[in-house]
Amino acid sequence: MTKSNTDMLDPDDGASHELRNYAIGFGVSLLLTVGAFAALLSHLPTVWKVSAICIAALLQVMTHARNFLHLSLSGRQSREDLLLVMFSTILLAIMAGGTYFIMADLDGRMHDMRDTQDMEGMPAGG
Amino acid sequence: MTRTTSPIFGRLDWSVTPYTDLLRKVDSNSLVGAGAATVLVLGAIVTIALITWKKWWGPLFKDWLTSPDAKKIGIMYIVLGLVMMARGIAEGFVMRTHQTTALGTLAEPEKGLVAPEHFSQLFSTHGTIMIFFVAMPLLIGLINFVLPQQLGARDMAFPVLNQVSLGLTAAGAGLVMISLLIGKFGTGGWTMYPPYTGITYSPGEGVDYWVWAILISGLGSTLTGMNFAVTIFKNRAPGMEFMRMPLFCWTSLCVAIMLIYAMPALTVSSAMLALDRYAGFRFFANDGGGNMMNYANIFWMFGHPEVYILILPAFGVFSEISSTFSGKKLYGYTSLVIASMSIAVISFTVWLHHFFTMGQSAGVNIAFGIATMIIAIPTGVKIYDWMATMWRGRVRLTTPIVYLTGFFLLFVIGGLSGIILANPSIDYQVHNTTFLVAHFHNVIIPGTLFGMLAGIHYWYPKAFGYRLDETWGRRTALLFVAGFMLTFLPLYVLGLMGLPRRSPTFQNPAFMPWMIVAEVGACLMLAALASLFWTFRTSFKNRTKLAVPGGDPWNGATLEWSTPAPVPEWTFPCIPEVTARDDWGETKRAGDPWRAPDTYSDIEMPANTLHGLLIAAASFGLGFAMVWHIWWLAIVSFLAIPGIMAVRGMREIEPKIIPASQVREEDRKFRERVASLTPVTRADEASERNQGVPDLSEFAG
Ligand code: HEM
Ligand SMILES: [Cu+2]
Repeated sequence: MTKSNTDMLDPDDGASHELRNYAIGFGVSLLLTVGAFAALLSHLPTVWKVSAICIAALLQVMTHARNFLHLSLSGRQSREDLLLVMFSTILLAIMAGGTYFIMADLDGRMHDMRDTQDMEGMPAGG
Repeated sequence: MTRTTSPIFGRLDWSVTPYTDLLRKVDSNSLVGAGAATVLVLGAIVTIALITWKKWWGPLFKDWLTSPDAKKIGIMYIVLGLVMMARGIAEGFVMRTHQTTALGTLAEPEKGLVAPEHFSQLFSTHGTIMIFFVAMPLLIGLINFVLPQQLGARDMAFPVLNQVSLGLTAAGAGLVMISLLIGKFGTGGWTMYPPYTGITYSPGEGVDYWVWAILISGLGSTLTGMNFAVTIFKNRAPGMEFMRMPLFCWTSLCVAIMLIYAMPALTVSSAMLALDRYAGFRFFANDGGGNMMNYANIFWMFGHPEVYILILPAFGVFSEISSTFSGKKLYGYTSLVIASMSIAVISFTVWLHHFFTMGQSAGVNIAFGIATMIIAIPTGVKIYDWMATMWRGRVRLTTPIVYLTGFFLLFVIGGLSGIILANPSIDYQVHNTTFLVAHFHNVIIPGTLFGMLAGIHYWYPKAFGYRLDETWGRRTALLFVAGFMLTFLPLYVLGLMGLPRRSPTFQNPAFMPWMIVAEVGACLMLAALASLFWTFRTSFKNRTKLAVPGGDPWNGATLEWSTPAPVPEWTFPCIPEVTARDDWGETKRAGDPWRAPDTYSDIEMPANTLHGLLIAAASFGLGFAMVWHIWWLAIVSFLAIPGIMAVRGMREIEPKIIPASQVREEDRKFRERVASLTPVTRADEASERNQGVPDLSEFAG
């Protein structure tokens, strides 16, 4: 009655499949990360850069969920997994959307830094 | 304040202890600082000496520090929380005393026990400690102890990870503690808002102590959340459907979900602050593309769910005790479940109410103000449910019920002042005054603290085999209630009169009467703390008289009361088959609940391991080294963590096997014991006749 603590993979039983899965996940993540940096350092217009980075980030999240966390939308656990994905998406959307809502509003109401810099040379007003 | 950084000692040198301040200048301020450090050092020496003298090192190490048993880990969390609470309450007392003596004049505005800078350190450590190292360990500890037992599981899903979480929390607490003796703590409050906490305005080690304590312990809490969630999803006993789980398990599930989704926000905001401070990033510098307001935004994305993390376990405890001590079924189980879940989700949509005054437009404020008020609805539902549970029950005025009553009366006041603050236009008037200080203490103390103390009192016999002394327990509870009212209700008035929060000084003599009342209250809080510790002591001395080997001292209805007290390491001799909500209660109603299982089998338990201790030591080393810029130590500790994990991962680890014969023997002894004890009626529950076997005919729950 001994059992390892690690749930070690049985080499005869799909271990190579599992390993390949992890390796693919790793490769794809690496590519997406490098891609994001490449986009940043490139000479594309800013809008393109930002969208490229965002898309790379989203794809990377999906890769991690699929290859590392073994989420899948078909199979034994699909219902639970779907619920989990939906719940996470809702919460993340609340956080990201809320941040955008708040920070965009704050940004719109702030003094533009360039204006302040322009005014530096001026005599102090009342 | 640029200091040279030595390659070996970083920025550490002899000038960093409070004793150097004392040598430089003797006044009440440096005396308080050195006094606190001395208490810490003496406390450590006395503890070590006591353990050595009693030869406790072996048992401490073997039975506790290396144990992956969730029950023991839970108890250790609670001990950590109570020790830190002693410091937190002492600091609260010093702050109140300072303010009572701080009435200045226009000519001499600064007065009082401690210097303003020291006062800022006090509220920063007090807030940090109370939230992260008192409230969190208490509730995580309680859940660790209770959750598996209520679910019918032997342990958490990941016992060793559990140990690591405890280690990380303790490492964070250790960093805050050591800041008393070595260097200073930050002065930016428990929220540490930049730009004040940026490197320009806070160049020393203070903010870094906070950052590393939070990063390390926060990671521990995230892991804990995952552990709880997996345990609830995967380790329930057969038949323990979701809608059969006791309410404490439901609130634990909410806590788990919130820990998983909220703690990362804190990790992110603190990590960004660390990058700003260490690596010259400008996330929170307004020039150079950053935005300091985003710190408040991310921090409170964690911060608001956090306050519900603090309160929900207390709600769970109150659900259990209101039903047990009035001998009735919990009223409105389903509504309580729905309310808890709604609170958990809605609490992610309200964070902006912590910075209504930061300058966003009215529309944004209104949206979050309304969301905030909506949370009051599920909370109100719960209060009514508990009152309905007790309605026409035969309520026994035990210690937990005293706490519950205090909670009913006071928490509602605190909640209502929260609704007032949820209105942005009112918040503009009173934010940053002691009105707010009164509000959050008003929900945290009667809510979280009372809930945790009630829970400790309720489940203590399960852990140690004897009840806590009821007389002292009630005295403690009453002292906390009275102390709370005197300390904090005056702060509402002071806030409306215009006393700012975090203010070391004021010049308005009209504040004084309220200050003095609050000071009396702070004394009562100290007395309550002393009385709490006395309760533990005197109960320990009387443990033979208070013993409840039958294991069910309160005539409870949930699974954890079916086992002996103290509960054995393996909890259940064989995993129970659950057939109903309040399964143990149903078994009692069916008669003869203490029937032995037909067969026993070997039980597999996780083996003791050093893993958690090692990770804790390495992460403490990492935090301390980063605070003092001791780079070599930081690198070594940082690499040690994956190293320790790799070593464990490569070893094959045998679980501990408890042979069926031993389980059968112990179980037989327990059942014979139960049969030999005289059942006790409810009326005698608080007397020595209570030996843990209740009178079944009285069970109605
Ligand atoms: C038991 C007696 C207690 C006393 C006498 C006390 C006293 C105080 C005082 C005087 C302040 C500073 C108020 C100001 O800024 O003007 C404060 C702040 C605070 N307290 Fe307490 N307190 C107590 C318990 C607690 C508990 C149990 C908690 C939470 C679990 C808590 C959490 C906080 C927090 C978060 C702050 C804000 C710190 C900051 O401004 O950053 N306190 N307390
Ligand atoms: Cu909030």
